[in-house]
Amino acid sequence: MKRYDKVTPEGTKDYLFDECNRRSTVTGVLKDIFKARGYQRVMTPAIEFYDVFGASAAYLPQENMYKFMDQKGRLLVLCPDGTIPIARLAATRLMNMELPLRLYYSHNVYRMANDLRGHSSEIYQCGVELIGSGSVRSDLEMIEMAASSLEAISAGGYRLEICHIGYFKALIDSLGTDEDTKEEIRHHIEQKNFASLNDVLEQFPDNKAANALRYLPRLFGGEEVFEQAYALFDDEAARESLDYLQNIYRCLQQLGLAEHVIIDLGLVNQAEYYTGIIFRGYFDEVGEPVLSGGRYDNLLSDFGAAQPAIGFAVHVDLASSVLEKRLPAVADVLVMAAADEYLVKAVLYGKQLIAKGQIVENCVLEEREAAIAYAARCGISQLHVIGKTTEMIDIEREC
Amino acid sequence: MKPIRIALTKGRLEEKSIEMFEALGYDCSEVRNKGRRLILPVKNANIEIVLAKAADVITYVENGVCDLGVVGKDTIMEAGGTFYEVADLGFGRCKFALALPTGVNFYEGYHTRCIASKYVNVARSYFEKKNMDVDIVKIEGSVELAPILGLSDAIVDIVETGTTLRENGLVVAEEICQVSARLIVNIASMKLRKTEINELITQIESFVQEQKERRKEKEAQKEAAAQ
Repeated sequence: MKRYDKVTPEGTKDYLFDECNRRSTVTGVLKDIFKARGYQRVMTPAIEFYDVFGASAAYLPQENMYKFMDQKGRLLVLCPDGTIPIARLAATRLMNMELPLRLYYSHNVYRMANDLRGHSSEIYQCGVELIGSGSVRSDLEMIEMAASSLEAISAGGYRLEICHIGYFKALIDSLGTDEDTKEEIRHHIEQKNFASLNDVLEQFPDNKAANALRYLPRLFGGEEVFEQAYALFDDEAARESLDYLQNIYRCLQQLGLAEHVIIDLGLVNQAEYYTGIIFRGYFDEVGEPVLSGGRYDNLLSDFGAAQPAIGFAVHVDLASSVLEKRLPAVADVLVMAAADEYLVKAVLYGKQLIAKGQIVENCVLEEREAAIAYAARCGISQLHVIGKTTEMIDIEREC
Repeated sequence: MKPIRIALTKGRLEEKSIEMFEALGYDCSEVRNKGRRLILPVKNANIEIVLAKAADVITYVENGVCDLGVVGKDTIMEAGGTFYEVADLGFGRCKFALALPTGVNFYEGYHTRCIASKYVNVARSYFEKKNMDVDIVKIEGSVELAPILGLSDAIVDIVETGTTLRENGLVVAEEICQVSARLIVNIASMKLRKTEINELITQIESFVQEQKERRKEKEAQKEAAAQ
C-alpha cells in the first residue's frame, strides 16, 4: 500500500519561518485596524454542519467542500466561508445583543481546489462584518476600513473597485426575460465576454436595457463612469443606485482616495448574494483580488433573523505576498554553561539578556570550540560562556 | 513601467495571432526568430510575448504572470478558470461535434454509451445537459481511433473541415458549438493597467471588425462571380 506519510494533501502546504512572519504581520495590521474601530473578535469552529451552507449552494458548490460525517451520521464540512458562520452566530447566540454588531474573524477556510493550477484549498482569511445597519453610514465605514486595510499592507500600491449591484439588477429586471437568460447575461458581464454577451442580447433589438447591458462590462474607471451610466439607462431604480454609489464615491474622494478607487458597474459576481454595494481590492503585482466584500442583506434571513449586513474578507496569503521577504531573525547571543554546575547560572544570565530585548539561544553543545563553530555557521555574532566568570566571545574575531 | 505580457497559444493559432499583432503595427520579428527563447520582446512597444501550450495560456493569465492571452474557446470550455474573455478574434474557427461511425444510430438501444474525447469536461457537460449517463474515456492523441478500434461508441472533438472524420469512416452526428480564438485578460491587470490594456483591446476589436467586413466582401464577390 502506498503511504502518504511524507506529503501534505493537494492544495495545502507547510508555512515556514518568514511565511509565518508575513502572515502574522498582515493579520496583526488588520486586527489593529478592526479593533481600533470597535470590532470584536469571534472564533467559529473549523467544522460545521453542511446544512449551514446548504442554502448558499449557488456560490459555494458542494463539490468544493470537504465533507465527512459525525458519530450520528450527520454531514459535516470544513468551513468553506467566513461570513456564513458569522450570520449563523448573529441569528442565534448574538440575537439579543445591541445592534449593530461589529465582528471580526481570522482563520482558515477550506475550498477544494485540486485543479493543479496554483490555487490553495486552505485559505487564511481575515474579515469583518457589520450587522444590523443598512445605511450609507455603515457602507462608508466598511469601504473606508477596506481602503485603510489595503493601504496599511501595501503602502499605497493598491486599487479598490466599487460597484452597486442595483444598477445591474434594474437593467436585467426591465429586460423581462427568464431566469436562465438572466444568469447567462450576468455570467457574460462578469467575464467581460463582449462577444457572447452580444449574441445573447441580440434577441432584444431596440431595447434600451439590452443596449446598456451590452455596454456594462466597459463601465469601469473614474468619475466619468457615472455620466455614461446615467446616459445609458435612467429608470428610477437604476438612478437610485447610481446616486447612492456616486454619493459614496464623492465621500471617498474627499477622504483623498480618488486615485485608488475605481468604479466598475460590471462587477456582478455573486449577484444573488450581494444586495447593494460590492467592492474588491487589488495589489500591484498580484493577479487575483486580495480583498472582497459587499452588502448582503438577505443572508441572515436564511437563518431566520432578517438583518441588513455588510462585510469584507482579506485573502491573507495573497496579500502578504507583497511584503518584503525577510530572512528569519537569528539569535543575538548564544549562551553556554561552561560546565553542568553552571546550568542555572546560565539560565538566569540568559533571562537577563532577554529582559533587555535580545534574542538569546541556549547552547546545547558542551564543547567551547564546537559552540564557536556552531555560532559561526548560524550567523550568531556573540557566544557568552557562563562559568565562574562570564566570557564574551566575538565570533567574527574568533574565526 | 513593467511591460504588458501577452501569452500566445503555440501551434494552430500561433501564425494568425502573430499576423494580427503585426497588422496592428507591432514588431513581431523577435517572435518570428524566437530560436529557443521563451519570452520575446516586441521592439516598438512595451510588450512581451510568451508562447505556451493552450491550457498553459489560461493558467498564466489566471495567475496574473501574463496580463493577456490568445487561446481557443475549446480550451476555455475545457479548462474553465477566472479571467475576462474580452474579444472573439474571429480566426481559428472550428466546431465541437459529436461524431460516430457512418450509419450508426447513437440513440438506439439502452446500453451506456462510451465517448472518447480529449475534451472530457466538454463531453461530460454536453451529456449532462441531455440527462444522459455516459462513460467518458480520455484520449490524448487521434481520438478517431477509439470508435474504429471498438473502444467507444462515439467521439467528442473539434472539427475543422471534417476530412479526417470522413477518411476514418466517421460523420458528424451533432454540432455542439462553434469555437474560435479569444482574447483573455487577467482580472487584476484589467483594473491596474486599464489605459494600456483598453487601448490594446480597442485596436484588436477594430482589427476583428475589419476582418469581418473583408470576409463579407469576399463572400459577396464570390457570390457575384458565381452568378
